[in-house]
Amino acid sequence: MNFEAVIGIEIHVEMKTKSKMFSSAPVAFGAEPNTLVNPVDIAFPGTMPVVNKQAVINAIRVSNALNMSIDNELWFDRKNYFYADLPKGFQITQDKRPIGRNGYVTIKTSNGEKKIEIERLHMEEDTCKQLHLSTYSLLDYNRAGTPLVEIVSRPNIRSGEEAMKYVEQIKSIVQYTDVSDGKMEEGSLRCDVNISLRPIGSDKFGTKVEIKNLNSLSNVEKAIEFEIIRQQQLLLAGIPVDQETRRFDETRKETVLMRKKTDAVDYKYFTEPNITPIRLSDNFIKNAIDTCPELASSKKDRYMNSLSLSEYDADILLQDKDVSIYFDAATKFKANPKLLANWIMVDIAAYLNKNNMSISKLKLSPQHLSDLVLLIEEGKISSKQAKEVFADIVESDASPIDVANKLGLVQVSDEGAIKELVLEALNENPQSIEDYKNGKDRAVGFLVGQVMKKSHGKANPAMTSKMIVEELKKR
Amino acid sequence: MNYLDLTIKELHEALVKKEVTPLELTKEAIKRAKEDTNNAFETILEDEAIRIASNLIEPEEDNIFWGIPIGIKDNFSTKGILTTASSEILKDYVPVFDATVVERLLKAKAVPIAKTCLDELAMGGTGTTGHKGITYNPFDKKHERLAGGSSCGSAAMVSAGIAPFALGSDTGDSVRKPASYVGLVGFKPTWGRISRFGLFPFAPSLDHVAYFTRSVEDAALTLPVLAGRDFKDATSSNEPVENYAEGINNSINGKRIAVLKEVIDSIHDDKTLELFNKTIENLKEKGAIVKTVSFDLNLLEAIYPTYMVISCAEATSNNANLDGIKFGPRHGGDTYQEVMNNARTIGFCELIRRRFIIGSFSLMRENQNDLFLRAQKARRLIVNKTNEILENYDFIYIPAAPGIAPKFTDSSDKLSTNYLIADNILVLGNFAGLPSITLPVGLIDNMPVGANLMGKKFQEKALFNVAKAIEDGTGLYNLSSRKLVK
Repeated sequence: MNFEAVIGIEIHVEMKTKSKMFSSAPVAFGAEPNTLVNPVDIAFPGTMPVVNKQAVINAIRVSNALNMSIDNELWFDRKNYFYADLPKGFQITQDKRPIGRNGYVTIKTSNGEKKIEIERLHMEEDTCKQLHLSTYSLLDYNRAGTPLVEIVSRPNIRSGEEAMKYVEQIKSIVQYTDVSDGKMEEGSLRCDVNISLRPIGSDKFGTKVEIKNLNSLSNVEKAIEFEIIRQQQLLLAGIPVDQETRRFDETRKETVLMRKKTDAVDYKYFTEPNITPIRLSDNFIKNAIDTCPELASSKKDRYMNSLSLSEYDADILLQDKDVSIYFDAATKFKANPKLLANWIMVDIAAYLNKNNMSISKLKLSPQHLSDLVLLIEEGKISSKQAKEVFADIVESDASPIDVANKLGLVQVSDEGAIKELVLEALNENPQSIEDYKNGKDRAVGFLVGQVMKKSHGKANPAMTSKMIVEELKKR
Repeated sequence: MNYLDLTIKELHEALVKKEVTPLELTKEAIKRAKEDTNNAFETILEDEAIRIASNLIEPEEDNIFWGIPIGIKDNFSTKGILTTASSEILKDYVPVFDATVVERLLKAKAVPIAKTCLDELAMGGTGTTGHKGITYNPFDKKHERLAGGSSCGSAAMVSAGIAPFALGSDTGDSVRKPASYVGLVGFKPTWGRISRFGLFPFAPSLDHVAYFTRSVEDAALTLPVLAGRDFKDATSSNEPVENYAEGINNSINGKRIAVLKEVIDSIHDDKTLELFNKTIENLKEKGAIVKTVSFDLNLLEAIYPTYMVISCAEATSNNANLDGIKFGPRHGGDTYQEVMNNARTIGFCELIRRRFIIGSFSLMRENQNDLFLRAQKARRLIVNKTNEILENYDFIYIPAAPGIAPKFTDSSDKLSTNYLIADNILVLGNFAGLPSITLPVGLIDNMPVGANLMGKKFQEKALFNVAKAIEDGTGLYNLSSRKLVK
């Protein structure tokens, strides 16, 4: 029997707002435990939630990027359950009216393009971080209250590759909209996968298994591939799949059981009474969208159509948002975009790689990179010489022309100066003139060499060659 | 004469004229507080009060609260001062911040004398469930009658002449009902008029900051200090704060007042009705148009169950932070569930546990439709009916209670059909979030009885105007047990 996988994905994205979802405490990663908290975050009696406006703007931007319809009223609900990681004993979330509904993203897989439908996007607050030790647990409330968006796909993902591409797409969107760092390894983008199998052609769903703890894109793909095989083997052996939560064990490259799922918990949802419904004006929503930083898809369009880059180049530049920002900054100056792209993809990439550095830490400014490329374009230095200049300015961010001068690399392109040397060379080598007249073009090369010698290599070779030919013809 | 027996307005004049100093007043208030026999106080703030009062030297003529001794119900967060909500589970809780109203009162240089007792977590209407025991009605020296709750300590404090003002909170009638039992003015404004930040929540959609004074004018004069938008309470209103006492003595000629027929019909105490009717005659003499209107018996009978379901549901969620891990003493346990279970079983009284279970039950997935959501619908219908009446009338006027304060032996927090309507009618003001004021209309066997006037949203000024006319008619101004009960 052939099976098809039915996969749905829930993605939690931590927003990098200045303050928390409902309190004025700062949001940051890696601070000392329990230093980024205020009474609201620890649910001191009498504290009240106040909605973070930037978080709402972010949620609108992501909803828009995911082609969702955006609610014009904000409603929040309480999700009630007793657990140590919840300071209030409930989480404020959006249950009945999520801010975004019914969207999709288009992914590209080895089988072509596919639309992945998205059911909902809602805002909520993160819980505190727990560290369970042998006889006790430690609680860090820094994370408690951090704004989250949760994005829930419909179960129309069919393979590990599709799932991976989907998560990659969401990651790109939240990064490019500046909503989140989107770092799976740091937990600022977390995804839970629901997966079940059914015979091809069936419209009934099989028993669903949830996989947690997927901290990289490749693990999403690997975990799903493993799980499909595991469930398939069970079903073929006539063993029912149990409803359970599993996690991906990175070293064993397989999913392992965390807990069996019993009946779903009753969260006793009800509308948060301390936040009355907030009307979002058309203007507010429009403004949030209009001021949204440019998405990767739109940049790609621009790179290919306005800047005439190849799709391959555009994709490479867009792999890292900061690289594209650097490229965008460099194209603001005069140099040719294609040449700039090459320098970024080859020389800068190699330098960053060698130094294990991110482009945001690079000393060389986009303007000086552009200046360097311009020196080549104007024929002031050769590409080979440019590499020497680059080796200096990438560390110093000095002006390329100053460095070229300092290294004595700038070509002499002054016509008068070159002409003087050309005449000198011709006069000193009558034999070469003779050879040229006898059809030996080689003589030109010899004469250029003489001029280069006299100019200590600085004469512009193209100009020199051209002038020698002109002068030879006169004689 | 003792200055402490004056109203705030009179006392303010005496302070401005330097007839008395804040320190003298504070010392007298502390002395009276220490002599209290009604169990009004959780904490007497002797050192803090003396320290604040000692720094008040130059009177501020335009600041009504300057040097005025006040009480604060112990469910308002006070920075560095024990705040227990009269619950075992918070018996050692010292907050790190002031409630917005407390902050405003301190900024206005009022002098907090004490944190007052309440029914545990402000749930309950008898003043008997706090962890320090029963609070007594100061009018009844035999200690047989309740002060009412949940703001029992604040009620007893102002009634006993220990301070002319005390903060309370009102979720069902927790200020306006005890006000009736102890002969005070008890007032709650429109929902959103006063910030609730720092008030321990019972049921946020119904909770109001409210307070006791001994005159209608005092209630009007003090509101501007407490009212106004607070960015820490997203539900607080941007509506401009007014000078509520301005025009308080204006004519009430032509004002339209609705008396609810079913409420009157449900009260069997002739003396209570007689006193109430006398005020109606007086209002009519002053040109008011007073008509008896029918509400809807079904809706009125639905008030109590609707209130119980909504308030208990919200309460069970609001108090989920009190779990022995974040707040409250630990009583052991091997798992986090056990720790929470033990802390909450030992930490709350029987009434609270019962209400949490009612709330939790009505929110359960299989019950939500029949209980919680149905209660929300009932609330909407009740509010619609109230607003419908207020389209034709400016005010709704009713007895604040079916009679004088009951004896402890007669009262219960459990559901009963006795006075189902008249004992729960003040909840209308919480359901609809409308301004509502209780004031004394007479004494029966030397025990006070009050009436309640409810107005339109943010029409506090008009409400004070008519309430003042009622007060002028009864002459029951600045009533206190200290003067009446020997």
